[in-house]
Amino acid sequence: MNTRRRWRSRVGDWARQRQGEDAVPLALVRRRLYVLPTRAGLAFAALLFIMLLAALNYTNSLGLLVTFLLGGVALVAMYECHRALHGLRIVAAEASDAFEGTRGELRLGVENVTTLPRQGLMLRAAHATAAGDAVTRSDVPARQSAALRCSYAAHRRGRQPIEALSLSTNLPLGLFRCWTWLHLPVEAIVYPAPVGPLPLPAPRARPFAAGAHRSAGEEEWSSLRPYQPGDSPRAVAWKAWARGAPLLVARYEAIRGGEHRFDLADTPGADLEARLRQLAAWILAAEERGERYGLRIGNHEIAPALGTLHRQLCLRALALHPA
Amino acid sequence: MKRPDAAVPLTTLRLLLGAYLAGTVLNLHHIALWVVPVAAIAAAWRWRAARSGGRQLPGRPARYATLALLTLAVLATFRTLNGLEAGATLLVAMGALKLLEATRIRDFAFLSGAALFLLLAACLDAQALWRLPLYAADLCLCCATLLALARAPEPLPARAALREAGRLLLLAAPLALLLFLFFPRLPGSFWALPDSGDAITGLSNELEPGTIAELTQIDDPAMRVRFAGAAPPRNERYWRGPVLHDFDGSAWRARAGLYVPRAALNYAGPRYTYTVELEPGALPLLPALELPEGPLPPDAVLTSDYQLALPRPPRQALHYTLSSRTQYRSVQPLSLAQRRIDLALPQGRNPRTLALARQLRAAASDERGFIEAVLARFRDAGFAYTLTPQRLGAQPVDEFLFDTRAGFCGHYASAFALLMRAGGVPAHVVTGYQGGEWNPIGGYYLVRQSHAHAWTEVWLDGAGWRRIDPTAVVAPARLEGESVELLPGAARSGGRLLRSLAWIGTVVQGWDALNAWWLRDVVGFSFDRQTDLFDALGLGASTWRTLAGVLAAGGVAWALVVVWQTRHRARPPPPDPLSRAWRRLGSRLARLGLRRRTTEGPLDFAERVAAARPALAHDIRRLARDYARLRFGPAADAAAIAAFGRAVRALRIPRQ
Repeated sequence: MNTRRRWRSRVGDWARQRQGEDAVPLALVRRRLYVLPTRAGLAFAALLFIMLLAALNYTNSLGLLVTFLLGGVALVAMYECHRALHGLRIVAAEASDAFEGTRGELRLGVENVTTLPRQGLMLRAAHATAAGDAVTRSDVPARQSAALRCSYAAHRRGRQPIEALSLSTNLPLGLFRCWTWLHLPVEAIVYPAPVGPLPLPAPRARPFAAGAHRSAGEEEWSSLRPYQPGDSPRAVAWKAWARGAPLLVARYEAIRGGEHRFDLADTPGADLEARLRQLAAWILAAEERGERYGLRIGNHEIAPALGTLHRQLCLRALALHPA
Repeated sequence: MKRPDAAVPLTTLRLLLGAYLAGTVLNLHHIALWVVPVAAIAAAWRWRAARSGGRQLPGRPARYATLALLTLAVLATFRTLNGLEAGATLLVAMGALKLLEATRIRDFAFLSGAALFLLLAACLDAQALWRLPLYAADLCLCCATLLALARAPEPLPARAALREAGRLLLLAAPLALLLFLFFPRLPGSFWALPDSGDAITGLSNELEPGTIAELTQIDDPAMRVRFAGAAPPRNERYWRGPVLHDFDGSAWRARAGLYVPRAALNYAGPRYTYTVELEPGALPLLPALELPEGPLPPDAVLTSDYQLALPRPPRQALHYTLSSRTQYRSVQPLSLAQRRIDLALPQGRNPRTLALARQLRAAASDERGFIEAVLARFRDAGFAYTLTPQRLGAQPVDEFLFDTRAGFCGHYASAFALLMRAGGVPAHVVTGYQGGEWNPIGGYYLVRQSHAHAWTEVWLDGAGWRRIDPTAVVAPARLEGESVELLPGAARSGGRLLRSLAWIGTVVQGWDALNAWWLRDVVGFSFDRQTDLFDALGLGASTWRTLAGVLAAGGVAWALVVVWQTRHRARPPPPDPLSRAWRRLGSRLARLGLRRRTTEGPLDFAERVAAARPALAHDIRRLARDYARLRFGPAADAAAIAAFGRAVRALRIPRQ
C-alpha cells in the first residue's frame, strides 16, 4: 500500500512537471489525456486471447470472426473513451469550506462546445487516498455546461490547496479509462473541528434590548415558508419567485434575549487549536439556537449578527487565524 | 444468507440474464439437456430476488453443495470435463451458480464473460448459415450487457444499450473482416481435439435393410460438385462411397483392412474434372465419381477397391479436386485373395437364394448370361420398389426374393450380390450417392443424403469390375429424375413438396447456393485458402513482414474510418445564417480599421462606425438595428434573415 502511494505521488509529480500549472479556462487537448486499460479491460484481453487460441485450434472461422469483432469493439471503445474528454473546456473550479476531519465538496465547471454528448465523467481529488467515497458519474450534453462535483478530505485547519484533480471516464465499455490531471489554483478553507468541552455560555444582555424600541426594522429575517393567502405582499420573496421557486414568504422574528461575544482570550487552555475548536463549537451552537453572536480573535473583531453568511465569516476567521 | 444489493439495476440485470440464457439456447444442440432447467431456475430466482429486493440468495454452504453436485452431474453425463459438450454444459452450470451469488459488478462482468464463451462454444460446434443471425444477435446482446454493466449502478435502458452495441459492432466489422482475411491461420491444431460423439448422418460402413431408407428421408446436403467442363449424364453419376465385402447373411460390412495389391486399370471414355465440397462426415473417405484417375487430394490414398481413404473422418467441410472416368478395364486378373473375399458365402443362411443362383447359373451359358437371367428375374417376377418394405426375418434375402418381393436399393443390391457370389461370380456391394440436383444459381450439382444409393460391382474375367445397378432394372425412374418422391411410401417431406413448386424451387436453390458459398469461402476459409488468397494478391512468398505490413496498413485505414465517422460531431457547430451575415459585415468593417470590441453591442458599434465614417452612417445604423431586432427580438423567420444577408452583401463602402 505504501509503495503504491509512493508510486502514485511520483506519477503525479511527473505529470505536474510535464503539464505545468493550469489555469481556467482550460481546454483538454490530446497532450494531457492519458488512456490505459482498466482491470476489467485486462480481463477482457485475456478472454479474447483464450477465444483466439480456441478458434485457431479448432480452425474455426466463425469463432475467429467473433473474436475479431470483439477486439474491434474494444478498440472503438478505447477511441470513444478518449473522445469523451477530448475538447472539453474547464471554465471554473472551486472548493467549498469544510471542517477539519470531514469531507468538503469540489466543483468543476465544464463546458462542452461540441455536438458530441460527453458521458460518464468522473471527478476525483487525485492522489488522495479516499477509500470508499462513491464517485458519481455526470454527463455533459451537447453544447451545454455542467458542474461536476466530488468530495475532498479536509485535513488541517487553514488554507488547504487542492493539489491535483483527476477528470476521467471509463465509458462506453469500462475496458479503458481515459483521464487528465488538473493542477488548478484551487484552495479550500478548512475550519477547526467544532468540538470542545465547554457548553455554550449564557448570552449577555444586549445594550439596547428594550422591547419599547423594537420596530419592524429590527426584526430579523429568519426563514422562508410557503405562501398562504392573506400574507402581506411585502413579505413575499419575489427574487426567489423570479428564479422559478414557488411563492415563499420570509418569516421575520423579533429578536429575543441577549447575544454572545466569543473571544479567543476567554477560552481556557494552552493549545491554540483546541481553543479555536471550542470557539467553532460555540458558534455552531449559538447559530443553532438563533442567538446573535460576535467574535473577537486578537485584534480582529466581528460584530454580533446571525445567519449563514455571518457564521461563515466567523468560521473563516477561525480557520485563517495564524497558528 | 445474503441479500442481493442494488449494484446492478434491473434493466442491466435483464440484459445479462438474456445474454446468459441466449448463450444456453445457442448450445442446446450439444449440451446435456438437464442443465437447461438449472439455468432457467437460477435466472428466475435471481430475477425475483432482484425484483423484490428483499428475497434472499442461497448461502455459501448451499452454493458449494450445488457446485459439487453439478460438477458430478456433468462428469456422470460425459465421463469427462474436457471437450466442447462437457465444457459448454459446465459453463452453463457454473453460470447458474454465479448468478445466485453475484452481488458485485465484478461478478456480473464475470457472467457476461461466460455468456461470450457460450457464444464461442456454439460457434465452434455449429457453423450453419442459418445460425449466423442468431449469433449476431447474441453478440449484440453480450455487448449491450457489457455497455450496461459499465454504466452500473446507473441504469442504461435496454433499447439504448442494444442500439449502441449494434453501432459499435458495425464500426468494428471492417477490422474484423481484415483480420479474418489476413490474420495468420494455422495449418493444424496446437493440441489434439477430442472427438465429438455426435452422430453425423451420412453413409456408413454397414448396409442393413433399412439404413439407406433412413437416409433417403434426409434432405441435408452431402456434397456439392462443380464440374470443370461437361458433366457426365445422370445415369453415370455414381458417387462411390464405402465398398462392402463381408456378408453375414443379413448385413454387408466393409473390411477393416484389405491388404491386396491394387489392380492396374486401362481408363477409357471422357475424363471429368470436378471439385467436391464435402460436408463433414463420419467416414474417413472421400466420395468420388466412379474411378478417380491422376493426382489425388493430399492425405488421400486409393485403396485396392478404389476408395479414396483418409487418415481420419473429415470433421469439417472439405473441398478437393479430382479427375475421374466412368469407363475402365482391368488389365490383370483378379488376385486370388480378393476373389476369395468376394466369393465368400455365409454358412447356412438364405438357402433358397443359393439354390436359385445355382439353378440360374446352370441354365446360363456364361457369366454374362447368368447376370442377364438374374436381372430378368428382377424385372419380370413382380418385384416392386418401395422405401417402406416389410420387416424381414432370419433369412432376409430368401424372404425378400421369394415372399415380399418389395424393397429399395439396399435389398436389391444385397440380393443381387449374394446371387452372383452363389453363382460363382465375384461381387460386392457399393454404397454412395447417385445423381444430384443441378443448381443453376450456384453452378453445381447438389448431392443430398436422400440421394444415397446402393449398387453392386461384379468381376467379369477379361473385363474386370463392372458396375451393375439392379435397382435400375426394377425402378428405371429412380435413375432418371426426382422420382423417388413418386414411389409409394416415400416421405412427402415439406422440403420436397416445396421444391416441386417452380419459384419456390428457385428460392430454395438460391438459399443452397448461398450455403455453398458460406461453407466454402467463410467456414472453409482455412490455412490453405488463405495461402491461395495471398498468392492471388501477389503476396505469394509472404513473409511475416509483408503480412504485418498489410495488417498495419489496413488497421490504420480502419482507424481513419472510425475517426472520420465521428469527426463532424466533435467540432463546434457552424454559425447560423444570421451570425454569418453579421460576421461578414464585421470583417468588411474590420478592413477599414473598425473592429467591433467584444464588449460592444451592435447599436454602440454602429454609432462608433457612423462617427468615424459619416457616409456609412445611415446604412450601418439600419443594419445594426435590423440585426439587433432579428437576434434579440421575437423569433425571426428565415426570409427576414435572408433579406438581412442580402442587405449586408449589398452594402457599398465608399472609398475615402
